[in-house]
Amino acid sequence: MKRNTLSYKVRQYLMFGGVGTALFCAVVIVPFIYGIYLTFTSWDGVSPHKPFVGLANYAAAFADHDYWLAMGRTVIYSVFAVVLINVLAFAMAYLVTSGVKGQNFFRAGFFIPNLIGGIVLGYVWKFVFNRAFVAIGTALAGGEQVPSLLASPKGAMFCLILASVWQYAGYMMLIYVAGFMSVSDSLKEAAMIDGCTPAQAMRNVTIPLMRSSFVQCIFLSITRCFVVYDVNLSLTKGDPYGQSIMAAMHVYNTAFTYKNYDMGQAEALILFVVCAVIGITQVMVGKKGEVEA
Amino acid sequence: MKKSIKKLMVLMLSVVMVIALAACGGGSSDGGSSGGGAGDGTSITLFNSKNEIQEDFENLAKVYEEQTGVHVEVYYSQDTVAAHLATKYASKAPYTINMVDAKDVYSLGKQYGADMSDCAWVGDTDYAITVDGKVLGFPTCIECRGILYNSAAIKAALGEDFDPASIKTLDDFKALLDKLVAAGMATPTAVLGPDWSLAAHYLQQVYEEREDPEAFVQALYKGEADLINDPKFNALMDTFDVLKEYNMFKAQGSNAEDELVHQAMSEGKDAFQFGGCWEWNDLLTYDYNGPVGIMPVPQNVQDDYTGKLVGGGSKYFYVDASEYTSEADQAAGKAFLDWLATSDEGKTFVSDTCGMVSPFKSNTVPCTNDIGKAVKEYVDAGMTVPNYDYDPDDHYSKLGIEMKKYLDSACTREELAAAIEAYWSSTTPVEH
Repeated sequence: MKRNTLSYKVRQYLMFGGVGTALFCAVVIVPFIYGIYLTFTSWDGVSPHKPFVGLANYAAAFADHDYWLAMGRTVIYSVFAVVLINVLAFAMAYLVTSGVKGQNFFRAGFFIPNLIGGIVLGYVWKFVFNRAFVAIGTALAGGEQVPSLLASPKGAMFCLILASVWQYAGYMMLIYVAGFMSVSDSLKEAAMIDGCTPAQAMRNVTIPLMRSSFVQCIFLSITRCFVVYDVNLSLTKGDPYGQSIMAAMHVYNTAFTYKNYDMGQAEALILFVVCAVIGITQVMVGKKGEVEA
Repeated sequence: MKKSIKKLMVLMLSVVMVIALAACGGGSSDGGSSGGGAGDGTSITLFNSKNEIQEDFENLAKVYEEQTGVHVEVYYSQDTVAAHLATKYASKAPYTINMVDAKDVYSLGKQYGADMSDCAWVGDTDYAITVDGKVLGFPTCIECRGILYNSAAIKAALGEDFDPASIKTLDDFKALLDKLVAAGMATPTAVLGPDWSLAAHYLQQVYEEREDPEAFVQALYKGEADLINDPKFNALMDTFDVLKEYNMFKAQGSNAEDELVHQAMSEGKDAFQFGGCWEWNDLLTYDYNGPVGIMPVPQNVQDDYTGKLVGGGSKYFYVDASEYTSEADQAAGKAFLDWLATSDEGKTFVSDTCGMVSPFKSNTVPCTNDIGKAVKEYVDAGMTVPNYDYDPDDHYSKLGIEMKKYLDSACTREELAAAIEAYWSSTTPVEH
């Protein structure tokens, strides 16, 4: 059988990737395209009629002050969370690949938060911030009730960042662990023989060779942070005073709570574009300097 | 040989995946089917949006099936009601009977609801929702708002029985709170922090407790209402200030957890809380030390609306009459609602099993809910102020934020009034 004909390749692809492609199209591509179509209509979510309104929903979305405030908040949250997640994940990966005693135990322990769903994780942290920390604070203040961190806008943002870092750092750690393991010991040894200190070997040999791990981790953490919803819902629910409503929650509220499906859909698409542009730019910039061992 | 085994494995894997795919497709289309039959009888679907009665509803459906042969499949969703029903309509498989909030009847019901004018229950209630001459909403229960009180806690503190009728004005209320404080109950009130409680329930009274709520709301839309000089607004906010002052969860303010507020009321750690009869199930979750009753919000302004609870019909059913529900299923849906309102089993289900206050006059089954019992007395005596059901969808959430600021003393009453006026005047009026 000739293996370089188009029909052979197509058949091979369909055999192995056909079902996956069909499913992907059915649950991602088709709804996505349909979603784009809906942004040009004034559909109320239930009516069989979908009147065409052109770009009116985009105009409304761009004029929605609260949406852009939420977007701004999301950017701030994402910057802090992405940096902290990656710094912590890298440090943990270094720890669990450095031969420290019980490193497998640490590896599993650090990864466990990622196994807890965002909603549950949010409630767990809410309990910690509202009850445990308040009880400790009250005891330290001599019995005078102290407010929860979640009661102030900055405190709520801090809590969201902390919970997200706790959730994702373990997951990103696994990718960094793979990165560390992929760097050959002989290269590091060669650097040391050439007079590098361990820190110099890390900076000049290990980290450049792990660039693809950084690109992946930063991409994953940016995209996840930009569309955060579950932790936002269960931990702060937008409180206090709507000051911790992130972009995804605003989109949900617009579409489903305020029943502006059309505008909510347009805002969701804008969020997707912003997220995609940042993510793709980061990957392209990151990939440029990648080196092969 | 090896090659043929490989081929066989690839073939088997493909078959398994295709079967899995087919199973997925089959499952989703079965899930929301409103037509078709179970066995020989008719089968209809019902969407219940009161989570706490889901199991009881399923049991009731079994009783109904035994009696009539009609299978009623009861569904519940954690999702927002409107969002969930939207997905059902989008998948062209709506429920036959849908439990929604009153304002959804004016949107969803108006668009898809069947006219139930000819149903037997219509003449038995004052709470049906009629739109354009069609009866579209079947009331499941009556729910009222007011001040919840724990009589046992008050008696334990003061050593005497509490008579809610003795609290007519805010001054009476404050005097009692001071007595409770003197008797050792340092913080006799609690305030729930969620936006639905603060805005959709408490602030809402400002619009409802007046002769013409619609005219007042229209004045708000036009920016003509002067809230800060409005006697009703000030009277209710004065009471709110007192609830705030004696609040057990003052340090947490709007961040106070509902569970702790309910636990305090249930166990009698405090004596008063603004709320309603839907909180009964929350109270029972804890070490209930009642009875807990409900009384009107005490105010120093005395008018036709003070001394009354605010509320009315709640959680409405509409029967889907869209193209996706057959005439036979619509008739079966109406018959089920008739049975729910008129049969002994239906009456017992509402008042006894679920402890709800029945909106039907012929239902004389005693309500098992302490708060509901008190509500029923007010309803029977005609001492209720009707709900205003035409708020914009973002009302409770946007003004909930302002009420939270006020609860946390992060804004003055003037600022609150200005924020409420600004919200209304910048909002498109709801058509109804």
